[in-house]
Amino acid sequence: MNLKSYIDLVALLEIDPSTREENRTFALTHPLLKNKPLEQIGAWIALHYDRLKRPLLSETFSSYLYATTFTLVVISFILGLFTGFGLLSYNGSEPVNVIYFMVMVIVFPLVTMLLTVISMFRAQGTHNVLVHISPAFWMEKILTLFPGRVEDNIRAFKLNPLLTNWLIIQRAQVLSLFFSLGLLLALLAMVVTKDIAFAWSTTLHISPEEFHLFLKNIAFPWSEFSPSAVPSMTLIEKSHYFRLGEGTSMLDPEQLGEWWKFLAFATLFYAILLRLLMLFIASFGFKRALKQSVLILEGSRKLLREMNEPLISTHERAAENAWDLHTQGYRQTVNTLDASYDAVQGWAISQDDILVLSDTLGVIAPKHLKVGGSNSLEEDDEVISGSEGEILLLAKSWEHPSNEFLDYLLDLSKKVDKIVIMPLGTGADLYAVKSEDLDEWAKKLSSIENEKVWLKRSHVESSKGEEENGNA
Amino acid sequence: METPKQSSVAHPTFAVVGHPNKGKSSIVSALALDDSVHISNTSGTTTKKRSFPLSVDGRVLYELFDTPGFQRARRVLAWLEKHDVPADKRHEIVQRFINEHQEDTRFNDEIELLTPIMEGAGIIYVVDASKPYGEEYEAEMEILRWTGQPSMALINHIDDNDYSQEWKRALGQYFKMVRTFNPMQTSLAQHMSILESMAQLKEEWIAPVKASMKLFEQYQEQMLERSAALLTTLLYESLSMVERFPVKTEEVYAEDKEKVEEKYKEKLRTMEVNVQEQIEKIWNHEHLQKTQEMLTLDEMDLFSKETASVFGLTRKELIITGATSGAAAGAGIDLLFAGHTLLLGGLIGGVVGGTGAYFGFNELSEVKVLGQTMGKRYLEIGPMENRNFPYILLGRALYHTVQVASISHAAREVFDMKMDQTFKAQWLSDTLRKNLETYHKKFRSGKSVEPKDLKAYEALIHQTLKALLEGE
Repeated sequence: MNLKSYIDLVALLEIDPSTREENRTFALTHPLLKNKPLEQIGAWIALHYDRLKRPLLSETFSSYLYATTFTLVVISFILGLFTGFGLLSYNGSEPVNVIYFMVMVIVFPLVTMLLTVISMFRAQGTHNVLVHISPAFWMEKILTLFPGRVEDNIRAFKLNPLLTNWLIIQRAQVLSLFFSLGLLLALLAMVVTKDIAFAWSTTLHISPEEFHLFLKNIAFPWSEFSPSAVPSMTLIEKSHYFRLGEGTSMLDPEQLGEWWKFLAFATLFYAILLRLLMLFIASFGFKRALKQSVLILEGSRKLLREMNEPLISTHERAAENAWDLHTQGYRQTVNTLDASYDAVQGWAISQDDILVLSDTLGVIAPKHLKVGGSNSLEEDDEVISGSEGEILLLAKSWEHPSNEFLDYLLDLSKKVDKIVIMPLGTGADLYAVKSEDLDEWAKKLSSIENEKVWLKRSHVESSKGEEENGNA
Repeated sequence: METPKQSSVAHPTFAVVGHPNKGKSSIVSALALDDSVHISNTSGTTTKKRSFPLSVDGRVLYELFDTPGFQRARRVLAWLEKHDVPADKRHEIVQRFINEHQEDTRFNDEIELLTPIMEGAGIIYVVDASKPYGEEYEAEMEILRWTGQPSMALINHIDDNDYSQEWKRALGQYFKMVRTFNPMQTSLAQHMSILESMAQLKEEWIAPVKASMKLFEQYQEQMLERSAALLTTLLYESLSMVERFPVKTEEVYAEDKEKVEEKYKEKLRTMEVNVQEQIEKIWNHEHLQKTQEMLTLDEMDLFSKETASVFGLTRKELIITGATSGAAAGAGIDLLFAGHTLLLGGLIGGVVGGTGAYFGFNELSEVKVLGQTMGKRYLEIGPMENRNFPYILLGRALYHTVQVASISHAAREVFDMKMDQTFKAQWLSDTLRKNLETYHKKFRSGKSVEPKDLKAYEALIHQTLKALLEGE
């Protein structure tokens, strides 16, 4: 996983190229990647790579990053080179004070490395001051001020603060490294092309012995394998330079040049080798930050979950082909029953119950007949063939009309003049009918549109009750 | 001819059948955890059988069929009874009925419901025991007996009346198992109990249905985990969110700051709504209709007694939380100095934390003007500074999740998601508050959060959700 694949991942998560099912299938077909989240994500990116919009943001970003870094590296190198030439410039009258060069190749790198270590510990924060004062940060800011340098999509793209911080830390090490290489090259070039007389001079009261001890400590890392690169006591004593004193006349000019070895090794060790180590740590930190950034991305957490959780499904994905009857209500309704009918029939109601109900309703009829329910179809046909005139058909209101009931109605309507259907509630509810049940009856009866079929709207539990406007 | 005993599919299948409008679709909806099933008061709205497979990674463990209700049961039975055959041949007659009436539109519903049974599905016959038993059901039960398939009856109660005793007496004559199931209740125990009964229908089905039961438990756990992950993301992103808006004018006016604040609030509201939608999707409630108050941020007096007691922490709780987390940080210092600070670190930390909580709540976050010196100014708001906000947001999110997880998939009414005063006491203990505050502090620190912190927070939310759902 590198920065480029991280940017590809962010772009892919935005377009959400695969379904949950596809992600799970992907994980099942790549069993070796199980429990390796970064590898899994890497392989997923590779699979969907072609879906990314061209030009790739990652490529644009990488080339921008490369170009900016390259420019800054060149600038740093040149800066280092010129700094080196400046520090080592020798006009022939005064020797070059090695302390200036030592500050630049020992003190400056050590201080900046210390700041780098602190900023590494604080890299989690959004506003990391140490990161923001880094040359790598503000040099790029200056570059962005030049017109046409940065494309809009890069401006719009926001890396998270953690990654940005590590990126700056890592880049700062590269720039410092090249700055130091510039210094080293300047030193070597000056040594080769000029005869430089080095000396040391300070306002502080430091004796040559103390300075020798100090330099011996500094040169400790290479003193074993290159003793000539450790300044000797004689050299230190003889190269002590006093502006108002006797100067360096007491020293052989050939010996004064011996300092260059020490300076070259100091640059190599403190400014280059230690910086390489910092660069290595920064690269490691960047990789770790990249891993952390990938794993805290909401999209990637969801993606990993989708890949690694068994896909459990309980429902059908296809839309249901269901319908609802929508009618304006049934227009043929009666509010009150007649005193008598030619027959009272009960759909799936026992003979005894029909008699009791007729009595309760105060309806007189010569015939009380059971239909539907446990009757056979032949028995129903017999009832139909014997029917005439006006029929009161009682039914259970909660058993909404089935097609079988509608068949019966249509057959009966061919033989009689009028059928009044009266849905009734349960005995426990004193036969009161729920308005929603009555609405369902009305809906179903609308579907057959038979002028002989009427619906009794009464005995309703709700406020609708007897307020219905019948047209009977 | 294929017999129903020789199932054409490898997994157990179950057909939910019955009289029209007795809750078949509600039961399927509840058992399949699918709120897309069309449920209507109008009988006959389900016109085609619909399959609801329980699958894990594409492997079907069992399949449930929602079927249309019987519409012409007596006519079908009359046709079957014309054939005088011994009991062991009756299923062949049913198959012949299906074959001969494929093109007969009158029997569409019966063919749809009998086909899966004749292909080997177990029968789940649904009745509504809130209405009295009627003899018209006998034709249906007799047809089902003719199929020769294992069967059970499921007693549903659409309303409060109870006629289950008379139903049990009748059903006991036709079905070897009679169970009660209320699709409006969403207890996992009830669900498991029905699956257990379904497993008993046929010996070969015991293992796959038991495996399905385990999978359902795993599915429940998966939904909980995914919800906890989403709530964690919501809290993390809303607390850590930093928004920047460029300022084009010379001066920064109060209206600019107000606009920025409004945009910030709008973003927070959108985040909450999006997460709610995703939670509903996780729990298969994509069709849920609800009424709910939006997250109130305007004129947000989080410390009015009313607001705080319903949604967030009271002033006292906030100060304690602030002090406790401050003291915890101070205790770290004490530990570092091996107690040589005489525990002053803890004391100072507590006082600082408590005071911070007392003073740091009136605004969501300060609007800062940045980039003055660079010439490109912008306003920045965030991360969230309000100490009460995470508790309000989390309380609402938990309440919504628990409600969604507890709603039956068979329910179709509009739900009022108004949180009551008692909810906070149900989930927020002192220990949990203390634990949550540790992470809230990290989230609003502006620093990048480690994946392990998000995991730990997720575990806390998961635990809380589980406890809330178990207490339901």
